[in-house]
Amino acid sequence: MIFHSLDFVLFFLVFTAIYWSLPHRPQNVFLFAGSYFFYGYVHLWFLILIATSTSIDYCAARGMEARPAHRRKFLWLSIVTNFGMLGFFKYFDFFVDNVAAALATMGLPWHQPTLRILLPVGISFYTFQAMSYTIDVYKGELHARRNLLDLATFVSFFPHLVAGPIQRASFLLPQVETPRRFSVDKATSGFGLICWGFFKKLVIADNVGVIANKVFALGDPTFPLLWSGVFAFAIQIYADFSAYTDIARGTSRWLGFELTENFDHPYLARTPADFWRRWNISLSSWFRDYVYIPLGGSKAGDAKWARNVMVTFLLSGLWHGASWNYVLWGAYHGVLLVLTRARRILKPAAPVPAGHRPVVAALIIMAQVAGMFALTLVGWLLFRETELSAIVRALTLSPFSAPADDRSTGLYLFVLTLLYSLPLWAQSIWVEWHRDESGVRHPAFIVPPGWPRAAVQGVACGLAFAAILLLRSRASLDFIYFQF
Amino acid sequence: MIPSTGAPPGTRVRGSVVQLLAILAMTLTVPFSLRVMHGRSADTTSRLPYLPVFPGHRSQLFHAGRIPELQQMNPGAVVIGDSMAGTRIDERVLSKRSGVPVAPLLQAGSGPAFWYLALKNWVVASGIKPRVVFIFFRDTNLTDVMFRLDDQFRWSLDMVASDTEEELNDVVQSALDGPFYAVHQGVERLYHVDAARRTVEPMVSRAPARWIAGSAGQPRLLEHANQRFGLDHLRVMEAADMAADAGTDFAASVKQSVLPLMLREAQRGGFKLCLVRVQRRPVNGQPPVQSPALKKYVHDLREYVQAHGGILHDDTGDPAITLDMYEDGDHIARHARADYTRLFYERLRVLLRPALRVNGAPAAQ
Repeated sequence: MIFHSLDFVLFFLVFTAIYWSLPHRPQNVFLFAGSYFFYGYVHLWFLILIATSTSIDYCAARGMEARPAHRRKFLWLSIVTNFGMLGFFKYFDFFVDNVAAALATMGLPWHQPTLRILLPVGISFYTFQAMSYTIDVYKGELHARRNLLDLATFVSFFPHLVAGPIQRASFLLPQVETPRRFSVDKATSGFGLICWGFFKKLVIADNVGVIANKVFALGDPTFPLLWSGVFAFAIQIYADFSAYTDIARGTSRWLGFELTENFDHPYLARTPADFWRRWNISLSSWFRDYVYIPLGGSKAGDAKWARNVMVTFLLSGLWHGASWNYVLWGAYHGVLLVLTRARRILKPAAPVPAGHRPVVAALIIMAQVAGMFALTLVGWLLFRETELSAIVRALTLSPFSAPADDRSTGLYLFVLTLLYSLPLWAQSIWVEWHRDESGVRHPAFIVPPGWPRAAVQGVACGLAFAAILLLRSRASLDFIYFQF
Repeated sequence: MIPSTGAPPGTRVRGSVVQLLAILAMTLTVPFSLRVMHGRSADTTSRLPYLPVFPGHRSQLFHAGRIPELQQMNPGAVVIGDSMAGTRIDERVLSKRSGVPVAPLLQAGSGPAFWYLALKNWVVASGIKPRVVFIFFRDTNLTDVMFRLDDQFRWSLDMVASDTEEELNDVVQSALDGPFYAVHQGVERLYHVDAARRTVEPMVSRAPARWIAGSAGQPRLLEHANQRFGLDHLRVMEAADMAADAGTDFAASVKQSVLPLMLREAQRGGFKLCLVRVQRRPVNGQPPVQSPALKKYVHDLREYVQAHGGILHDDTGDPAITLDMYEDGDHIARHARADYTRLFYERLRVLLRPALRVNGAPAAQ
């Protein structure tokens, strides 16, 4: 079931009404049943996978506590099961294709088996979420749960099941286990998030997505067309993914839950490290805590740090999909981080000249943001373009060889994308403006609480709804992160 | 959303609830501005004369000139469809091969409602007796009467519709009774969205062109943009759209489709109706993956069509239709059009030249 469907709207309204009429334990049973209904709505067999993953993790965690001497074996049981399923469903065809290609280059033709496996949506997300539970139990940071239903509800919690944000067991599981009360304030703020999310998905992401799809379907893109398409894709993927997160967080609030934020205005990042503190935060922190730090993090010298960063980002790239362009995208961001640190070591930043600080500092910040955004665009080219030959061709295009008509068309697509994405930029700049020097965000609302704020939110939600009715794209696209 | 401080908790909660309800109400109220904005221009009371289920005006009259053209041509075969048929069938090649005149009744962006009306109001009404009429379709859209019947595509129906189309109107009405369309119609009645969209959408898409090229240069810029993203410039995509699972319940969808009417018209006209399901773009050298639900749909469709005197020909899985014949999406490339037509003739020659039938059973079955 997808958020932007009537099916979901009806499901959610009925579900929420019944949900709040139940006491805590039956509420959890109902939440579990609703989540499995949500996930198995199209393909019932998906439920077998998530149930298997949950059962194995439950047993593994219980085993770790019951037989501490065999903790490591139970951890491996969980890792092999979870990553085994993920690997089979997500990477089997990729692996076979590459083996066949390698054999072919050696002159050894091989009739490769093609299973044409359908990738179960959300498997990458819930696998990582379930893994966080067993790893935390292994590390002694969490105790194994006796109640299988609570664990299963945590793994399958439907608002974020398909595309995150990935929640840690230590954060979400206690919310499942604790009795919840309906909060009008939470529902109000959740409704705002839902409206904003639907606006971003249906008006911004789907409209600019059409531009990106058209450009990436061209066989002979010129420089201006290609980069206007990359720009459109950058907006699409941010609007699309953050929309899913917002709707997930908003619907969760209606159910009495709180999910962590997943984006912090990433296109206003000033450095690669800053970007990764703002983009897909739940996945980045998962890789940081379960891959990067166990590898040694930054404590083992510059060379090992660089290795750890590269391993982490290569795996992060591969997580996104079974294709070399994702690996390349991960490697690219890893290299950016390594180069940034190398540059800082070799040439420490000069202090901003005194006397001109506010103006000069503002200009430097703008230049840094623009530079980082340009680097991010190169990354999105690698991410979106699946053919390696087309990537090479794209990166060697000359900006001066394009015909005048293509320059105008590229500019037109760029401005059209900018027009659709204005609310997104305005929101980011507004929030950034209210961030203090330590990076803490202050409430962006200047409207006093109570009725004035309710009026502003009502009008804003109404305008979002009107814009959805008026400007929603005729091409209804799936959420991009469903495929991961 | 915290109401004024100092109030007792109960009052605060009540205040918050009222504010939440006010926000919900405003969310639903603000879009009424669309209605006010377009209240004068949006004539929602007039209905499409031949399809009263839809609002709107008829933009062109029935193309009656087609009827004498068909009578004069007296074709042995008629091809009806959208670009799936248009990019596949070269009527001159098919005519030369089969030895009978072939009449193409094609309309880009058309759907089953158009195909049914073309069959009824042009072919049957002309009184011609072709050996066979082919209707091309993809996957499940033959039984989806709403396919390409929205505002954007509906205009082309005008050219095939007579003054009243009661049967089609009934079918559309039954399809509209579903939950999605009921909601859509409700929203439309409340906010008059379609009229507002017709005004605002072009404004948004054209404004940047005007800023860049000025009013005089805007048409040229948009024309170049359209031409630049035309079929000639698109690369061969690795995967065309996967067949969707939606609408694969044949038993449910056939009741709300024009398929029974098409088959009845073929019997009335005394010709064979052959429904041609085109193969979608191959992936990795093989036909695209089909869900079990889609396979069952095609099986049920075939049984239904045969039981009602028609023929279903399915390209899917034909090894001779290879990826290099495709252009973008599911369209066949220009250079392969003649090859496809020859192949089509080979597969269905028993229908086009019955005298050549050897074993008695049509190949298409």
